[in-house]
Amino acid sequence: MGKLTIGCFSSLVGSLSLDFAVKLSEAAIQKGHKVDLWVSGNAVMVSKKGQKAFKDYSFVAKKIQELVTAGNLQVTACEACAEARGYHKEDTMEGVKRFSMDWYLASSFSADRLLHIGGD
Amino acid sequence: MKLGVFLSEYRAGADVLDRLTADKLGIILVGNGVYNAAVKENGKASSVLEKKASFYVLAEDLESRGFTAANVDSRVKVVTYGDVVDLIFNDYEKTIWI
Repeated sequence: MGKLTIGCFSSLVGSLSLDFAVKLSEAAIQKGHKVDLWVSGNAVMVSKKGQKAFKDYSFVAKKIQELVTAGNLQVTACEACAEARGYHKEDTMEGVKRFSMDWYLASSFSADRLLHIGGD
Repeated sequence: MKLGVFLSEYRAGADVLDRLTADKLGIILVGNGVYNAAVKENGKASSVLEKKASFYVLAEDLESRGFTAANVDSRVKVVTYGDVVDLIFNDYEKTIWI
């Protein structure tokens, strides 16, 4: 089994690329792979706690929390991107890390496969 | 190199595809990119499908836009998220997203 690193820079609401990243993560985990998910730019907001589900809005926070809690998915948010958006450490979803971009670089180097999904 | 390309847009990205070279090229249509697999304009399929590549389309994104496998061009294989994982790990060494 391998390790997949996904970097996602897409918006939480307004783009479905982040949903794709989470669903791909879940599918990879179900096949026994490990997944690192780096969220940067507007995508950091997916790692913020207290998100509410609305009808007709995508809501991947619950799935992320389940996968992180099960220990199969490691999610790390860009610390600078979060702080720039007024999202502080105490607002971070349980089990999610915050780090500088060198975490993404290190994860990419140790990954068997890398998928980088740009912003929108 | 075996290169897997995720194409997430319709009417965009073809110019990038033209500049890519690979020993083996796979194009995985996701998001609005699925329209390349299912829509014919003036009876003509997307020019993306004229590339020398293997084509895949994500079933969930296809269905969420009101299409079924019956609407998909014969050059394109309908795949699940699990299939995409296998493509990433078994068929293509590098992946890019456009």
